[in-house]
Amino acid sequence: MEPCLENVKAIRRSKEEKKLLRKQIKASHTLLKHEGISTVSKPTKSLVVANGGLGNGVSREQLQVVLGEGGDVETLIMHPHKPYALVTYRTEVSAQRGHVLLNGRQLQCGDQVVTLYLSYVDTVDSESGVCAVLPPGLVLVEEFVSLEEEALLLDAIDWKSHDEEVTVQKALKHRRVKHYGYEFRYDNNNVDKDKPLPGGLPQACVFVLERCVRDRHVKVMPDQLTVNQYQAGQGIPPHVDTHSAFEEPILSLSLGAKTVMDFRHPDGRSVAVVLPGRSLLVMKGESRYLWTHGITPRKFDVVPACDPESPVAVTSDFSNHSNLTLSRRGTRTSLTFRNVRRTPCDCAHPSACDSQQAPPSPPSLPRSQTDACRLEAEYVHSVYEEIAGHFSSTRHSPWPRVCHFLSSLEPGSIVADVGCGNGKYLGVNPEVFAMGCDRSCALVQICSERGFQAFVSDALSVPLRSDICDACISIAVIHHLSTQERRQAAVEELVRLLRPGGRALIYVWALEQEYNKQRSKYLKETREQAPPGNSTDDHNQETKVNSTDDHNQETRVKLSVHTNRTAFNSQDLLVPWHLKDGGIKKGGRVSKMTKDPPIDTKSPVLAPCPVFHRFYHVFQQGELEELCARITGVMVQCSYHDQGNWCVILEKTRDR
Amino acid sequence: MKLLTHNMLTSHVKGVTKGYPLLIKATEVKVSEEEFNPNFVSRMIPKLEWSALVQAADGLGHLQDLPTELIADYEANEDFLRKVHRVLLEVEVLEGCLQCPESGREFPITRGVPNMLLNEEEA
Repeated sequence: MEPCLENVKAIRRSKEEKKLLRKQIKASHTLLKHEGISTVSKPTKSLVVANGGLGNGVSREQLQVVLGEGGDVETLIMHPHKPYALVTYRTEVSAQRGHVLLNGRQLQCGDQVVTLYLSYVDTVDSESGVCAVLPPGLVLVEEFVSLEEEALLLDAIDWKSHDEEVTVQKALKHRRVKHYGYEFRYDNNNVDKDKPLPGGLPQACVFVLERCVRDRHVKVMPDQLTVNQYQAGQGIPPHVDTHSAFEEPILSLSLGAKTVMDFRHPDGRSVAVVLPGRSLLVMKGESRYLWTHGITPRKFDVVPACDPESPVAVTSDFSNHSNLTLSRRGTRTSLTFRNVRRTPCDCAHPSACDSQQAPPSPPSLPRSQTDACRLEAEYVHSVYEEIAGHFSSTRHSPWPRVCHFLSSLEPGSIVADVGCGNGKYLGVNPEVFAMGCDRSCALVQICSERGFQAFVSDALSVPLRSDICDACISIAVIHHLSTQERRQAAVEELVRLLRPGGRALIYVWALEQEYNKQRSKYLKETREQAPPGNSTDDHNQETKVNSTDDHNQETRVKLSVHTNRTAFNSQDLLVPWHLKDGGIKKGGRVSKMTKDPPIDTKSPVLAPCPVFHRFYHVFQQGELEELCARITGVMVQCSYHDQGNWCVILEKTRDR
Repeated sequence: MKLLTHNMLTSHVKGVTKGYPLLIKATEVKVSEEEFNPNFVSRMIPKLEWSALVQAADGLGHLQDLPTELIADYEANEDFLRKVHRVLLEVEVLEGCLQCPESGREFPITRGVPNMLLNEEEA
């Protein structure tokens, strides 16, 4: 049974303890300055043990015993010449115990006394389901070029003309990219095959290409080159190079510092491959067409300690930790040589192939539960998962009238926020117990990180006991349901949760954005959401298209794409969301892989942001009240228009 | 997931009638200090299923000296309220799962968040 750690926090800080804390902080600053290790204040499973390194003369065996006092140690990383060690415990509780017991501990190492200082660091996640072999079709050739040849190549790349185009600020934040041979188009992530760039490939690279042909890595000389330069801390999100743009193999020559490239299969398997400097990576078959590849933006990689020249794939089986060490990243330049494809791709991996996949048919209003579920999965749920970070950052001001509703609740009330998003309303009234639920895992995680109680669930089936809530709120949620029956079912679910006498507040987007001659904020604000002249934003057109199915006499209503910041022309539509900052989560971790891997993103930072479409059914005046009237046992207390939304407060009557 | 939340959660798998309380299978539990508010705790008590709370706390090894039966006049009993406070708000399940007592269906808990989504067939 775990000992209670509440006492830890209650310890009075004596003079000795204050001195220890000062030394611990000084140690962590030194680590940051000299080793690039940043410590965190919130407890995690991992700790850096300053002065506990092989470089200080502390042995692994000795440290292992001492660390064991905290609990089960999962991994212990000790680099040969460093003055620190990195330990990951099996649980956070063990890490905390280790911290308490060992911070300031003195060790006798030979004729020296060493004092250990422990600080928390971000835990490195180990991937699940890792295999120890390279993805099929992947070959790594060591020492493909000599040191002299490497120097010549690096010298030959002309960054001057590149930097004139891109501001210094951008160059610092993102990797540098330069193309040769063919112009890369950003609007379709493809090569413009009719516009070869003048100059072709640099003369200095010809010997590399000839060597590739001679060694039979490729049959035809590549005609396109992309140069990427990565500083420590820079990377590239996981992607598959566009099938229709390039043939196979794709050859990538690494110059400068080594790095770790992550390959991921759609089924979740991942392999981390060390790419030493001067090595050639040959991607063929599955590794080129199906697995995504990417480089996590990091300053350190964990690589095999012994035999550093070996191209063995790194496993995340950390029980073999005695062979692992840290490798600090330096500047790496990659030269990726590719053959432009002239005919459509006919690979064996249609799921990732843009040549073989039929373009998705535009969505239409669903006529069955299954259709509705599918439409919402694609045009609501997966979109929110992708945009969660950006979405949350734009949702920071709670609406006053919603706050008023929450603040006027009795202290000790139980409140459910169904469709809570990033938890904006969960902390408004600290006297009540608020629980949030949302369909998006990513958004619910944000709630949890902010200290709120939340769980992942669908609004149509909330896993809470009936009659348990004193109040419920559903703010900007029900308009995402694509049939009238489902919208009504969502309100019925809210009513089920309420105790008799309890009240629910519902907000939905209104068709009528102008009300009482007042334009809503949505119409008034001109934000960057709809960049002018963006060709991906269609103007509102409602088109009725006859179904191609001969047996089907009905016409399906196609959903039109709305132009942001304008009045709504129809009630059922797709509203664009322009995603800023990509899908990369804080801390440099790349976004979760979606079912269809994103196509080639080897493009400079100037690529436009992706656009997502969300389904909305905007409500007409009176429609929400009408819907509530159809439900037995409820009474509409009041209804109003608030900033482009129709709102109701309903009460579950006491005798049903 | 705090035990107060767990007390409100129930299995919603289609066809299940005895889906409460969900069984907790925890692989990581955290105990942290939370500010004690006696009025808040007092007001929560009547809304709780007491036996489910005791069962959950016991299963996690955190029952300690919490009475298995609700005592009378708890509003004025600070000692008792503190015990309830600890169990309701200071014990958190970070990793593990919740299991439906009738169907056996497991709902994972990751980084403190239970994922209660059902498949199309179960909804």
